[in-house]
Amino acid sequence: MEAKIKTFHKFLNLPLRAKLILSFSTVILFGGLLTLILGTKLEHKTIFDLAQAKVRHDLASAWMVYNDKLNHLKDIVRLNSTQEFLQHALKQNNHVLLQRHLDRVRINFGLDILTLTDTEGRVVFRSAQPEIWGDDQSGNPLVIKALAGNIVSGTQIVSRQELLKESQRLAEQSYLKFIPTPKASLRDKDYEENGMMLQAAAPLIDNSAQILGVIYTGILLNRNPEIVDRVKDVVFRGEKYKGREIGTVTIFQHDLRISTNVKDTSGHRSIGTRVSKEVHQAVLQEGKPWTNRAFVVNDWNITAYEAIKDISGKIIGILYVGMLEKPYIDLRNRVMLTFASMALLTVIILLIILFFITSTIIQPLKKMVLATTKIAQGDLDHRVDVTLEDETGKLAQSFNQMTKNLKSANEKLVHWGKTLEKRVEERTQELREMQDSMIQSEKLASLGKMAASIAHEINNPLTSILINTHLMLEKTEKKREGYENLSLIAEETSRCSEIIRDMLDFSRQSPPQKVYTDVNDTLIRTLQILENQATFQNIRIEKKLDNTLSPIELDQNKIKQVFWNLLLNASEAMLEGGTLILSSRYSPDKKNIEIDFSDTGIGIAKEHINKLFDPFFSTKTSGTGLGLAVSYGIINQHQGKITVVSDPGQGTTVTVSLPVPEKKQSVKETTCQK
Amino acid sequence: MSKIKTKILVVDDEINVGKSIRQAILSGDYKIDTALSGEEALTKDKKERYDVIITDLMMPGISGLDLLKTIRQERPEVIVILVTGYPTIKTAVQAIKIGAFDYIAKPFTPNELRSLLQRSIKLAGSSKDEKEEAFRPEMPSDLFIMKGHTWIRKERESLVTVGVVFDFLKPIEQISEIEIIDENKNIYQGEVCARIIDGDNNIHRIWAPVTGRVVRVNENLKDKTFLLKKDPYKKGWLIRIESTNLKEDLKNLSDSLEERSN
Repeated sequence: MEAKIKTFHKFLNLPLRAKLILSFSTVILFGGLLTLILGTKLEHKTIFDLAQAKVRHDLASAWMVYNDKLNHLKDIVRLNSTQEFLQHALKQNNHVLLQRHLDRVRINFGLDILTLTDTEGRVVFRSAQPEIWGDDQSGNPLVIKALAGNIVSGTQIVSRQELLKESQRLAEQSYLKFIPTPKASLRDKDYEENGMMLQAAAPLIDNSAQILGVIYTGILLNRNPEIVDRVKDVVFRGEKYKGREIGTVTIFQHDLRISTNVKDTSGHRSIGTRVSKEVHQAVLQEGKPWTNRAFVVNDWNITAYEAIKDISGKIIGILYVGMLEKPYIDLRNRVMLTFASMALLTVIILLIILFFITSTIIQPLKKMVLATTKIAQGDLDHRVDVTLEDETGKLAQSFNQMTKNLKSANEKLVHWGKTLEKRVEERTQELREMQDSMIQSEKLASLGKMAASIAHEINNPLTSILINTHLMLEKTEKKREGYENLSLIAEETSRCSEIIRDMLDFSRQSPPQKVYTDVNDTLIRTLQILENQATFQNIRIEKKLDNTLSPIELDQNKIKQVFWNLLLNASEAMLEGGTLILSSRYSPDKKNIEIDFSDTGIGIAKEHINKLFDPFFSTKTSGTGLGLAVSYGIINQHQGKITVVSDPGQGTTVTVSLPVPEKKQSVKETTCQK
Repeated sequence: MSKIKTKILVVDDEINVGKSIRQAILSGDYKIDTALSGEEALTKDKKERYDVIITDLMMPGISGLDLLKTIRQERPEVIVILVTGYPTIKTAVQAIKIGAFDYIAKPFTPNELRSLLQRSIKLAGSSKDEKEEAFRPEMPSDLFIMKGHTWIRKERESLVTVGVVFDFLKPIEQISEIEIIDENKNIYQGEVCARIIDGDNNIHRIWAPVTGRVVRVNENLKDKTFLLKKDPYKKGWLIRIESTNLKEDLKNLSDSLEERSN
């Protein structure tokens, strides 16, 4: 059981094609074999049944010929028994007359013996050997029956002694030495000296119904081919197969062939050979007819044997009819061959078809297996080449699609991997900037709130101080002591109020009112206002503006304020003269517009750079230090950036970046009037 | 004929400030009272019917603006001067539109307040006394007005020209000096953009009507101060401002057409 399961597993693990072909072949072979076996059996049986029926029929025909001969003899004796002159000659014992008549009959009819006896059964006259007469034939069963008034015929074994009385020739003709036959049964002698005869006898009855004697005749069968050849001619019409007689007939005396047309290897009639033990047993001993294949002399024959009995019913010999088996065997072989070749052809054709069918299934599968292997090895460009439109084709299509998707996903992944680091860096930078910006905004906002509350709280006391100081000043003459002090108080109080004012200016950051604005235009307008001023007189201005910039939403006035501050700062850095380069451009990466203010001025010390945007930080003697802080606040309100790069002694570049919203590229309205 | 004293009420919730203001304007010509709240002011006004009310803008309870509205409803002729802190200047400008004569931003000198007060009394007196005006230049129709103070003309886009309306100048008999803010300075609506010093050394503050940056000053005025009063709407212009918040600022100004019809 386990072994079977193992085998089954082995089978399941075979390649698909082998499995399919093996399964199909098994079915085909099994079917073919079964058909072949059954067909052969059926055909064999049919052919041989047919052959046996025919051979039995032929045997019956042979009997008819045989019995015909016996009847012929009977007719001869009957006819002569009634001849009056013969009866007369017998009465007179006229040998001359008898001889004349009986010789004529014997020779005319080809009889071996023709003999007359008296009423006692003593031989009166022998036609074949007239010299011998007077012997007693009353022992002869035919003579006995004839003396009783019957006309009879039958086959009789005649002893050599009797044969010698009848004719020397007959005795010689009968003598046969056995030819050794392998399958024959044992015999206590190796020759035959008796003969086997067809005999007939009739009484001679005169007019007064008195029996005068008996006339009997006979034909010796030994070495006499007449009957067998006649049967062959009548039944088989002399047909031959490959040079051999199809049909053969034999008469056996006991088991010895005495008359036959079966030829031995040298082409002679095989008289002297004997029947097989099997047939001997069945026919001679048991008296049954025997029909079967039998090896006759040299060839296998389909044969029929039947016993020959004498008048008393004793088995004395065999009548045999045989047909060559070879034609049937050949026929059968031909049929079988045809059948087998057809089966083989069918199997081959089926296998070829199967091969192609499995190919259409297996080839795509193999390609697919190859493809999966390649893909597993990382070759994502590999495609399965299947053009069929069946399930395998669809599978291949899906497979290719899958590979394609896999590839694009993989590419995306790789791309992602590559850009991720860059993005992280960018993002980190942005976050850092945002954080800085938040700190800056926070500073501005809290300062604004503080300034507002300080201004409110300090204003009232300042008012009182200022009024009263002035009132005291009014009452004090200029040259009087304390006047100067009061003046100082008044002056400083006013200064306090100025400081508060600046603080409040700074804190007063109203929300931007944005409109579509052309940045270049705004820059040029701001510049136009400033250009005529004294500080700009020694400065050469270069404009490198990108004219393709799309307008963006800005609080135009606030941006002008920023530009104003930056232009003024630049001019103040170049009091000795210099070049101011103004450039603008769109940066698609950052999605913003950048405006550079590059001066060739004194530059900014490194330690000051980080403090530039702090409120109240100033390197100038005049000014509150709020200009850049306010500018920073404004740009911050626009989600933009101001960056400063400076090289002390060489100059400073201030860059303002303003974001361009992605979906607002088109201009819907603009307040720009040109 | 003995002069009738002008009755003045000073309203401020801080007693020291109130006292100081009173001290600043103390004069034989005035009868000055003080009040510490809007409520007290209303009560006192019912009794005294003041000619001038000087009130702080930011007060708990009734504010200066409420006081202005309430009193002017009953007596439109009353002169209301608002005292304001710097952060509430916008409110003061709005107050002018609804009838305040003027305002003054803390901290101020006594002289500034006195000048203002005198100008208001003079203007009130002149409108009573002189029915017929000898000289009154025609106000163009394309102006926006900060009532009784300044005008603007839109030149292009956000650039505006600023000048002083004749009504403001009328009480000032002789202009000895005009102080104007420097170019490039930022200025907010309601802040001082110029000072007029008259023959009596009174200082008259001129409020900027719009927020923005001063881009040009009328240099001619330095020598020819007379131009201011003689041709207030043309050659007597004061400054040009690149305004930054014009749309909002205009809400606090009146149309010149509307002004003329009054």
